[in-house]
Amino acid sequence: MAKKGWDEFEIGAMLRTFDGKIDDIAGTQQEDRAYSQSSSYTASVADWRLIKPIFNKDYCIDCQFCWIYCPDVSIIARDKKLIGVDMDHCKGCGICVEVCPTNPKSLLMFPEQADEETEIASWPKKDEKEE
Amino acid sequence: MSEMKNIKNLKEFSTSADRFEGANLLCPGCAHSIIVREVLNATNDDLILSASTGCLEVCTAVYPYTSWDASWIHIGFENGSTAVAGAESMYKALKKKGRLKQPDRNPKFVSFAGDGASYDIGFQWISGCMERGHNIMHVVLDNEVYANTGGQRSSSTPIGSSATTSPAGRVSYGEKKNKKDMISIMAAHGIPYAAQVAPNKWKDMVKKIQHGFSVDGPVFINAISPCTTEWKFDPKDTMHITDLSTDSLVFPLYEIIDGRELNITYRPKNVIPVEEYLAAQGRFKHLFKDEYKYLIKEWQERVDSNWAYLQRREESRV
Repeated sequence: MAKKGWDEFEIGAMLRTFDGKIDDIAGTQQEDRAYSQSSSYTASVADWRLIKPIFNKDYCIDCQFCWIYCPDVSIIARDKKLIGVDMDHCKGCGICVEVCPTNPKSLLMFPEQADEETEIASWPKKDEKEE
Repeated sequence: MSEMKNIKNLKEFSTSADRFEGANLLCPGCAHSIIVREVLNATNDDLILSASTGCLEVCTAVYPYTSWDASWIHIGFENGSTAVAGAESMYKALKKKGRLKQPDRNPKFVSFAGDGASYDIGFQWISGCMERGHNIMHVVLDNEVYANTGGQRSSSTPIGSSATTSPAGRVSYGEKKNKKDMISIMAAHGIPYAAQVAPNKWKDMVKKIQHGFSVDGPVFINAISPCTTEWKFDPKDTMHITDLSTDSLVFPLYEIIDGRELNITYRPKNVIPVEEYLAAQGRFKHLFKDEYKYLIKEWQERVDSNWAYLQRREESRV
């Protein structure tokens, strides 16, 4: 989209989120929607992030705490299962890791440049409670 | 479309298709979008939304982007509630005249506003909406400060909090006035439903929102929204701070039906001292200096007496 000068904006603006007609938004998952260029779904805030969450599905119990408490709609859950993290919209706040109840946690924060496969291979072991 | 969405557990809730998008410009760890998601996902019906000026509005509607997948309007700082009330009146009128193309869709009217736009600037407008009895829901995202403009105090800022217009220092301990009791004021309008909610108690919140959608008349919801920037804590601790606020009874969860009947909806098993809640936030850091320590005691007494009042009111059913 070409950038407009400060005095070229129209007064009052209407943006359409979708291209064409959509009848049942609440029944259509994100991947099936025809987002227009005006929806922030098509934008990315990935460059805000210094640390990123990595999801290890081996330990996940699908409690969905991370889904409900994610502020950026970045935890993708379909059919009651956690699929992964939307890295275009994740800002790296780390709430998902804090609320994860499993031991060891199935989501952990790593530096942005960390490699997913190596980190999952060297995932921390279960924390034994000290007697 | 208009039957209530059935949400028994979190797994079932997670099948909802979000109508609020990421890549908004809210700070990492902001509780605003958690609250918005929980409200929007509580229903499958069409939504007509507004946002008053505040963090939520400036961050979700940055031209040329919008983060909303529903009809959404922003006009001014004060009139988000009246904008939605106007839409509701028009909807009713068109329905009466039989000019709606799909009259059975039964949309929900929700206005979002921060505490500045509700407690201070939009107060008269909200009061008007509640008095006229529009079928709308007003949700306050209460972060106890004007976070969007740099942390000025609002009438929701609690005693002892350091805000940029009431900074703590050598001569002052920060904000000197206590938080306005907005729920009681709104309930005094005789509205069918007013409630306090917190994003960490999602089930309680969804239940209250669904009840709010099902009643006929104005609904007032006050939601605590910890602000990582102005309350000065780490973004990852948002839910921890919310837990502390509800478990220390600084922010008790209750509902008021028809302006009279008060029900406490969450009783913490282990009530934690207010000191823990204060210690977790940078805005109360100065209270732990020797000269201001008496304020922590006052805080605890205030919270205890408020909790006792709520319990008395619940028992007496008035």
